[in-house]
Amino acid sequence: MNLRAVGESFVIAALACLPAVGEGFYFRSKVSWQSPIPASELVTVEQARGWGDGAIWVDARPDDEFARDHVPGAFSLNEDRWNELLPQFLPNWSPDKKVVVYCSAQTCNAARDVAKRLRDEAQLQNVFVLQGGWEEWQKRK
Amino acid sequence: MKTRILTFNVARRAAALWLGGSIFLAAGARAELKWEQSVVEVHPAAGDKQAVAHFKYENTGKAPIHFKSVKASCGCTTTQSQKETVNPGEKGEIIASLNIGDRTGQQVKTVTVQTDDPNPTQATTILTLKANITPPMEIKPTFVYWTSGEAPKTKTVSLRAAKEFPVKDLTVKSNSQNFESKLVPGKPGEWTLEVTPKDTSHTMGTALLIQTDYPKEAPKSFYVNAQVTNPQPPPFLRAPAGQAAAPPAGAKAQPAAKAATPAAIPSPATH
Repeated sequence: MNLRAVGESFVIAALACLPAVGEGFYFRSKVSWQSPIPASELVTVEQARGWGDGAIWVDARPDDEFARDHVPGAFSLNEDRWNELLPQFLPNWSPDKKVVVYCSAQTCNAARDVAKRLRDEAQLQNVFVLQGGWEEWQKRK
Repeated sequence: MKTRILTFNVARRAAALWLGGSIFLAAGARAELKWEQSVVEVHPAAGDKQAVAHFKYENTGKAPIHFKSVKASCGCTTTQSQKETVNPGEKGEIIASLNIGDRTGQQVKTVTVQTDDPNPTQATTILTLKANITPPMEIKPTFVYWTSGEAPKTKTVSLRAAKEFPVKDLTVKSNSQNFESKLVPGKPGEWTLEVTPKDTSHTMGTALLIQTDYPKEAPKSFYVNAQVTNPQPPPFLRAPAGQAAAPPAGAKAQPAAKAATPAAIPSPATH
């Protein structure tokens, strides 16, 4: 009897899981926590703050959002005006600095794109993306 | 024993009811707001200011649907919803526009659409705009630098025009006298830019303006940045995370050199 009860419970539990499995399969490409950024290129607010003057902050958000507020000392560098803003940022960079790029939140990809261009086109090293972006910075102010 | 069997039967019926309900709910809501495509790939031409994607939908259900919110990722994409309520059988579209600006390569932007669809899995739809922006010129690297005190050796930058961008000649312009630059033509559509600082004793920088001879009425401008930066501090001056650097006994810490202000960025000639 006990064995039968266990067996039936197992079957019911398996059936109950079916919709969840189906939904997971259907929405597999839309899972928000799937970050395209490798962990080695991400940095937390605490880690980046710990770098002190050794970090140079880059705000990848559009101009109006930067103008409203930004991390103190951050440079605006977005892809709308990349050619104009890059020459303003580079004089403040030196090989010993770590570059911390952020955008609005965890879900935005502007920081990832700007970080990629700094690595690939300008060939800078030590370029990181801030986990959680501006939203996270504000929470931990 | 009887109580145990009764409890088990009740649990079994409840589970079956829940399962049936879920399937019914999913089946009933499946045919509400149908999207023709949730991913649209666009290939803007060189010179286009925007990449635009049209996401078409139709209400195939029996009840009206209301849009609760339409949010674009990162503010780079603007969206346009033509109606707030979609009646059964009605069609419409959401237009997502990406300002190209100085963007290059593949751009992926999302638009999150929320409706009052009773089925939570259908209430939120993520629309994806993929724009492949081919840069007219491939420049690598876009930044060359020397550390202060380093030998002022020539550094090179390679420039290659895209196939659909028939540029024949380039010019280079700088507002700084501190760097020498020379364009060396290679194969058709390819050049090498040689950049040499006059001296590296102090920090300085410039943005070299590269201009094309095509299109004649509006030539394109690109920049290559050259910089003499602060030297990398010796290991004892490099502080570990969260700590102030302490020089060894007898060593005198040097104040950090001021960052070089770049010479004004040369502006492209107006046509």
